[in-house]
Amino acid sequence: MTAVKDEPRPHEPADGTDGAYGVVDRVTRDSTTRTRSADEPADWVAALTSTGPDQVVAMRQLHQLMLRAAAYQVWRMRGALPDASPGVVDVIVNQAADEAMTALLGKLGTFEGRSRFTTWAFKFAILQASCDVRRLQWQHRDVELRDLDLAHLPAAEHLNPEQQAEGTDMAGAVAVAMHRVLTPHQRRIAIALLVDGVPVDVLAQRLATNRGALYKTVHDARTRLRAELTAMGYLHATPNTRTTRSTPSSTPAGTL
Amino acid sequence: MSTTPVPRPLDDDAVDALLLDTTPWLSCDDCFAQIDTYVEALLAEPSHRDTAMEHHLRGCAACDEEARSLTALVVDHASATLRD
Repeated sequence: MTAVKDEPRPHEPADGTDGAYGVVDRVTRDSTTRTRSADEPADWVAALTSTGPDQVVAMRQLHQLMLRAAAYQVWRMRGALPDASPGVVDVIVNQAADEAMTALLGKLGTFEGRSRFTTWAFKFAILQASCDVRRLQWQHRDVELRDLDLAHLPAAEHLNPEQQAEGTDMAGAVAVAMHRVLTPHQRRIAIALLVDGVPVDVLAQRLATNRGALYKTVHDARTRLRAELTAMGYLHATPNTRTTRSTPSSTPAGTL
Repeated sequence: MSTTPVPRPLDDDAVDALLLDTTPWLSCDDCFAQIDTYVEALLAEPSHRDTAMEHHLRGCAACDEEARSLTALVVDHASATLRD
């Protein structure tokens, strides 16, 4: 089993591709933070909360921003759509933009000007479009909330016998720890999200809960598992709190 | 027609995901509240650090996808604005 490698910074994609964060290097820093379109309101909040023609124009411009961001996100995730034909995509984009605009206007009073208004606005449309695409992706798929069956753990495949043995040993230790320190609910949520790859929005919808509650469940489960695996000798903490995974036999005495 | 996913094994990726250190705690709601300022700070200064945000994005695939998309869109929007 290899040690957990250093995680890349968010602007350094782990997949080795250019990735979204990679575009940073292709533009000047000033261009990303200090520009404003000539026809944008100087004060979006004032324009959107005004009355008369200024508000109508601002609303129209805001809707264009929402459409652009929703279209951008749906295009990025189009491979996940069961039907990515132009007509279907257009419907998804428009619905997401409308819902995002409603959500944004409901929170307009919370905008503090800590970022550009356009950046703040984009995140509403991206969130809405992402959730919509993931739900469409899973609309015809069952979500199984399964527990771990220690007696019938499917074996993961590794490149060589040594990695196979280490991987099997570590997976077994994690499985034992999951049964020992996690509640049945924590196990099922962690397996669905982290092993079976069910999107958090989809699981939240099926369970009538929300993303934050599920992430908290997983966070608590991870904390318990890390403590247990450390006690079992499979993890050891270094002074800067990063961890390295190792089998107990290779862990120096007194380092846990 | 519905399909039932085949249970996946506890492979290395799954083990890493289960054992990820996501402390200090940051909720998805807090992530959403801060992501616009975080993205702009990163674009302005790539060495910008926010440990809680970084750990949250590593541990939450949905928030991470949205952060990456927002970053790309902000850059794209800025470039388009400069062209206009």
